[in-house]
Amino acid sequence: MVAQPSVMSARVYALALRAYPRAVRDRFGAGMRDAFAQDLDQARRRGSLRLASFVAVSLGQAIWFGALERLGLTVRPYQNDRFGGRSRSGSWTDVRDAYRSLRSAPLVAAVAIGSLALGIGANTALFSILNSLVFKPLPVHEPDRLALLDPGSFSNPVWEEIRDRHASVGTAGAFAWSVERFNLADAGEMTFVDGIYASGSFFEVLGVGASIGRTFDAHDDAPGGGPAGRVAVISHGLWQRRYGGALDAIGRAVTISRQPFTIIGVMPASFFGPDVGRAADIILPIGAAVGTRQAQLRTAATWMNIMVRLKPGQTVDHAAEYFRAVQPQIRVATQPDDRRPDQHLADDFTLASAANGRSTLRQRYETPLTIILIVVGIVLLSACANLANLFLARATARQPEFSLRLALGASRWRVARQLIVESVLLAIAGSALGLIVAQWGSALLVRQLATTAVPVVLNLTIDWRVLGFSAAAALVTSILLGLAPAASLSRLVEGDVLKAQGRGVMADGRSFTRSALLISQVALSLVLVVAAALFLRSFVMLTSVPLGFDPERLIVVAVDSQRAGSPSTPGPELAERLRTAVASVPGVASATVSYTTPFATRGWNGFIRIPNRAALPERESLSWVNLVFPGFFSTYGMRLIQGRDISLQDVHGRDRVTVVNEAFIRRFFPGENVIGLRFSGGTATDDTHTIVGVVSDAVYRSQRLGVPPTMYAPWAQQEPFTTFSITAQSATSAAPPRQAIAVALMREEPAVAYTFRGFGDQYHASVVQERLVTLLSVFFGVLALLLAALGLYGVTSYLVGRRRAELGVRLALGASGRDIRRLVLRRVVWLVGAGIAAGTALSLWAVGFIQAQLFELQPRDPVTLAVAAAVLFAIGVIAGWLPARRAARIDPAIVLREG
Amino acid sequence: MDISNMATSAALKPVAFHILASLADKEKHGYAMMQAVRELSGGQIPLQTGSFYRHLGQLIAAGLIVESSGRPADDDPRRGAYYRLTPRGRETLASEAQRLSNLLSAIGPLRPSRKGSH
Repeated sequence: MVAQPSVMSARVYALALRAYPRAVRDRFGAGMRDAFAQDLDQARRRGSLRLASFVAVSLGQAIWFGALERLGLTVRPYQNDRFGGRSRSGSWTDVRDAYRSLRSAPLVAAVAIGSLALGIGANTALFSILNSLVFKPLPVHEPDRLALLDPGSFSNPVWEEIRDRHASVGTAGAFAWSVERFNLADAGEMTFVDGIYASGSFFEVLGVGASIGRTFDAHDDAPGGGPAGRVAVISHGLWQRRYGGALDAIGRAVTISRQPFTIIGVMPASFFGPDVGRAADIILPIGAAVGTRQAQLRTAATWMNIMVRLKPGQTVDHAAEYFRAVQPQIRVATQPDDRRPDQHLADDFTLASAANGRSTLRQRYETPLTIILIVVGIVLLSACANLANLFLARATARQPEFSLRLALGASRWRVARQLIVESVLLAIAGSALGLIVAQWGSALLVRQLATTAVPVVLNLTIDWRVLGFSAAAALVTSILLGLAPAASLSRLVEGDVLKAQGRGVMADGRSFTRSALLISQVALSLVLVVAAALFLRSFVMLTSVPLGFDPERLIVVAVDSQRAGSPSTPGPELAERLRTAVASVPGVASATVSYTTPFATRGWNGFIRIPNRAALPERESLSWVNLVFPGFFSTYGMRLIQGRDISLQDVHGRDRVTVVNEAFIRRFFPGENVIGLRFSGGTATDDTHTIVGVVSDAVYRSQRLGVPPTMYAPWAQQEPFTTFSITAQSATSAAPPRQAIAVALMREEPAVAYTFRGFGDQYHASVVQERLVTLLSVFFGVLALLLAALGLYGVTSYLVGRRRAELGVRLALGASGRDIRRLVLRRVVWLVGAGIAAGTALSLWAVGFIQAQLFELQPRDPVTLAVAAAVLFAIGVIAGWLPARRAARIDPAIVLREG
Repeated sequence: MDISNMATSAALKPVAFHILASLADKEKHGYAMMQAVRELSGGQIPLQTGSFYRHLGQLIAAGLIVESSGRPADDDPRRGAYYRLTPRGRETLASEAQRLSNLLSAIGPLRPSRKGSH
């Protein structure tokens, strides 16, 4: 046992020696390893603490000295000659001097490193999310040969046509998949897992294999399952979570969405499927689809995405040409009876490179994250401006020293170099710490992106892109930090400061640089404050969109009544039985059944056609659909404006009736009395509906989408769905009792699976993106404001300090405290005013980029701009007021004596 | 004492001096040299492998030390190369010793109890 760590240490040390150039290793390597081994023995005898520190120091030395050797930085055997030019010229000396100079001002160094670490860390955190979302290629074989077939999604018949006739001709292969949530519970409360249905070619085309067991192929992707029955491949993560990594998980039976499956393989840990940001924990063959998807295998419902692998050397455009050429064939072969030919596959096929996978998360967050990245970039700039001012002040304070060195014959570059090295050192330390901040911050952010219904899984490991980004950030910051102080040296005349050091009213040669820095800082802060205010207002407007129903006392129970292992669908009376069971729970005032509920991810829409009228453009002729029980509207608190509610008599065999909302009338029958009017489509193309009632508007999916035209058809007049939602309304102001409802459901029908959805969660999920952007922009906007205030305060204090003598003389000559305050504040007001003017111009230009992110708000909103400017002005003046007050209290007697 | 001489002969760093001194009696392999330095300096120079070889490399480059061609018959093959002083190295060591001793005698009457500086 004792030998093992030393063998390992020796190996690690040998590895660390690789830092040295080869020539040095060849020459000294054996001796170094020997010495290390001997000293290691010594150190071990002196305790584990000694041992640990010895190993750490040795490794550090090996890497550090190795790097120095590579850079050609060697030691000299002779002592430094402090006064000669020769020995003071090494870069290494600069680094050491810079280190000493920073250590002598630990507070300045700590503030600088801390703010840089936060700034660079925040930037790196956002970048690493963007990186994994947008830039990282999929961890599959030759990802740059993958392309996604557009537009949108396709039906299974279309996929089968492509699979059977075209994939092997036009490309090197293709696969289809659809994003699903699977329920792993046998019965009772559902346990959801993210997964996908994938075609048999999925693994082969991606070029990934199972780490244990096997993947499935075309033979397994047969209707109802292949020779091995219904098979499932699971992810490494699920294997660990659910089976504890047991090898005998292969071959086990598992119930997935109420159907029996057999696990045949486990994917490698790095594999997460074709969707970035989402873990494909369960992968099922399309042929084994269950529930609604099983029913959709033969219909024109579009629910699949298709990815192709290009032939070697084939371009995306070339492959797309092929698909466009065969599109008419595919269209004819898959023409559904119930759609007009010009509506089916109407848009031309295109292909988009998919080297880094597909991601709905990317579509949603790419722009918001980029905006926030720019925002934190500005905050970093602002922090840099503060630090540059701080260093400028320090450089001014050190002018006597620099001046002396210049007088003794040092070159300007020689002196400037030290300042630059100092800032580089700070930036390196800041970005090293920033990487740690970033790791923590990005994980925190990703948790914010996730909702109860949509978990987010992103690979956030630091790769060369992230490292490159933070190195670039460090480079930029060090240039920004070092440049101003170094440039200030150029105006320094040898010995000048030595003369001036006594006292006097000194012209402040650096005031221009400092003012410019401050003005730009104020301007940038204003942009951020304006952006934050816009996002905040937009968020408030979004969340105050009337829902059209009262969510307070409601709870939704989503029910899956498909029996495990039974292909037969339960009868239509089941929904009514379960509804009655829920409604009879004490504390529940009423309960209703519907196909979907507001804010649910499930939705249904269809094209509306009105007899004897010109059809609207395709996009505008869509109406959203919900199937409801009688009493749905009263449970949701929606008002019946005209006509009647759906009744118990609206069943199969009777005239198809429907209740539509006001938005439906505005779209399809503006200004008409619609009761009794008929239209077709919506639920299915050949269905004809008679409007019997009009109900008040309510949100269908989210507030951002607003209130779309919606038709409510009787549940009893459609084929029953095995999955539906029961909404219970509480009899009191408290939320309905979940526990009692669960018990009632289980007692009524033990085989059903169910899950509760509170409107709170769904509501939160529907605005998670807006909430995140608002939170971050407000946070960083306030941070920028504070930084600007700090900068103003610091610079004003500094200037007051510099002008103490002058102000003292003024006071002695009879100036009042007010005069002095006014004198100091005038400068602050001028700076802030100029900053605000510049910032306003900048904002007017910059906000154009966030227009798309705002909800019903003009980005060039004058009120927002005015408020932001006023806030910034007030804070700026307060920041300047404090030093001004101090200046007014200078005791002239003391100042004059000091001279 | 003629101090004009001191200004022209550059002072060796203590580490370099001790490394040269470690080879004064006979040729040694690297680790033996390190141990000798640690002993000679009474622990004042806590030499680590990395910095030792850094200095050794420079002393070789300066022509003060060379790698020995032969090795003792009873040698452990894991030891690295053996080193010895060149004539120039021996000269430098002697003149540095002389310089230090001159320095010591010059400050003899003022010799502080601790803490000397170069």
